[in-house]
Formats: sequence, structure tokens, C-alpha cells
Amino acid sequence: MRTPPPFIHAIESSAVGEWMRSNVLAMPFVEASHVLCITLVFGTILVVDLRLLGLFDRGRPVTRVAHEMLRVTWLAFAGAVLTGALYFSANATTYWFNTAFRFKMLTILAAGLNMAVFQLITYRGVAAWDHAMATPRAARIAGAVSILLWVTVITLGRTIGFTKGYDFTVPAGVDFDFSAGGGS
Amino acid sequence: MSLESTARQLQSTAFSQQLQATPWVVPTLQTIHIVMIGVVFVSILMIALRVLGWVRGEQPFLLVWRRFAPFLWTGLVVMTVTGLLLTCAEPVREVMALSFRLKMALLAIGVISAIAFGRSVRAAAPAAERPFPFGVRLASVATVVLWLIIIFLGRAIAYDNSVWGHWSPAVLQRGGTT
Repeated sequence: MRTPPPFIHAIESSAVGEWMRSNVLAMPFVEASHVLCITLVFGTILVVDLRLLGLFDRGRPVTRVAHEMLRVTWLAFAGAVLTGALYFSANATTYWFNTAFRFKMLTILAAGLNMAVFQLITYRGVAAWDHAMATPRAARIAGAVSILLWVTVITLGRTIGFTKGYDFTVPAGVDFDFSAGGGS
Repeated sequence: MSLESTARQLQSTAFSQQLQATPWVVPTLQTIHIVMIGVVFVSILMIALRVLGWVRGEQPFLLVWRRFAPFLWTGLVVMTVTGLLLTCAEPVREVMALSFRLKMALLAIGVISAIAFGRSVRAAAPAAERPFPFGVRLASVATVVLWLIIIFLGRAIAYDNSVWGHWSPAVLQRGGTT
């Protein structure tokens, strides 16, 4: 197995990581909370994105929709980061070397970048189109890109669960039967 | 046990076998399922928060309902279809999990109460602009809690033994986090 950077090892061998691995209820509850937070992040951002695209809440000022939804979004995002960090601490090395995990982190970064560009440039002139059904092209692009990126984040998140595999190398000549059927 | 044998029978059908043999099927269905949970849960949350008067106070309640209801129904339909396909792909894992059984029972309550609520909203449209009575507010909070539990149970299916111990009917523990 490849050796991760020291800080990854430190996270994995921390008390939190140890607690996550040894407590049988920790993982299911942290995972369920993580999924819940992500659905809230996605759903609330979707409302804002659809408003930016002019497909939803058209009669409502963009600023009002954004202000109302993004409070929930940030709260849920904080929850997703916290639960994600707990999740990560349990098997830090495995996640570190998982390709889907790395792409998920990059995609979240890209979503943040998309949001920052929108906030700092396009949103500055919002007063001019706050009540308009047709938003500027830059706003519509930001909305569409946001939906695409968050769906990708969820897709990659689910991919991690199917690709992180087992944390050991199968010795040569040993044939594991994973086809199951007779488990206890 | 007959429920288990039915699940095993379903698992051995050509359709189920085909779903199992295609590696991208389950993750893709789960992804669509989760995306739809986002759509459905946020729709329910917004309607519930409007009942409580915390959001969209400037919009008539009926307008809020009409705005989110199509998302709610579409999301529920897609969720049901992907959920059914997931159950076809892994019938034994699902049916033999206590979390799955509880989830289905609560889901039935959730869907029936949503339909009933939609009907009563349309019937009571003219009176809908007064603040909602305590009972309706309480019901809207209960609905949000109900869906929270449904979401939690969905994720807990993968951990039936850990969560329920000897209450779990699972005989086939895959021990994974998929």
C-alpha cells in the first residue's frame, strides 16, 4: 500500500478517527447526516439556480430568493463539511488515494469558484435585474454551471462508496469469494 | 420466511441479474435517488416553513403550494421508480433490512398525508390567507420530521446490523458502505 503524507496518517490515527471506527453507530449516523446535509445544499441551491435561469420563482426578486435560501445552504454546507470530515478521519488513507474523492473535492472547489465569480462580478449589478424574469447571460450560465457541478459532486460522492475498495492487498494465490450467499 | 424467499426469487430473475451484472447501474440509480431527495425534501421544507410563516410571507400560501407541488410530485415519482429499480437490483439486501421496512411504512404515511394535504389546500383556498391554526403548524413540523427519519433510514439500510442489532432480519451482511 502507498504511504500517505504524515498529516493524513495523523488524522487517521487521531482520537476522532479511532472513535469513528470503534463506535458501530457512528458511521451510519454520520453518513445519514452527510446525505441529509447534501440534499439540503443541493435542493436550496437548485431553487436559486432555477431563479437565475428564469425557470422558477420568476415573480420574486432574485435577492430575496437568494437571501432566503442561502442561509439554509450555508448551514447545511457546514454540516456536510463537519460530517464529511468525521467520515474522512475514519479511513483517511483510503480516501486520500481514492480518485473519485479527489475529483469530488476539486468539483466542490469549482462550485465555490463559480459562486465567488458570480457574487463578486455578476451579482454586483443585481439591482438592475432583481425583478426581471430574464436575467443576464452571466447569471444564467452561473446557475446552469452550479446545477451541473452539484450533481457531479453527488455522483462522485456515490462513486467513492463503490471504488474505495478494501484497505489491503490481496496476497498472491489467495482467492476471495465475494459472491456471498452464505454469510452469517 | 416467505418475504425472504420472495426476495430471493426476485433476485434470481433475469431482470435483477442483468441489473446486478452492470456495475454502473446501482451507483447511478442511487445518485438520481439522492438528487431527487434534495428536490422533494426542500419542496416539503419550504411548504412547511410557509405554513409556519417563516418564509415567503409576501406570497399567498396557495401560490407557494402551486410553485413547489410540481417539484414534489415529479420528485416523488422519479424517487419511486429509482427506488423500485434499486430494490430489483438488490432485493434481499433491501427487504431483509429493518430500516428498509420501516422506511416503506413511513413513506406510505408521508405520501398519503401529502396527497391529503394537497386536496385540503385546494378546498380551503379562500380561507388559506389567515395564519394557520396550531394543528396545521404542528402537522407541518411533523411532516418535516417524518421525512428526516425516512432519509436517515434510507442511509441506514447499508448498516442494518450495526443500527438494529438483533432486531435486524438481515441474513446477508455485506458489511460495506455501498
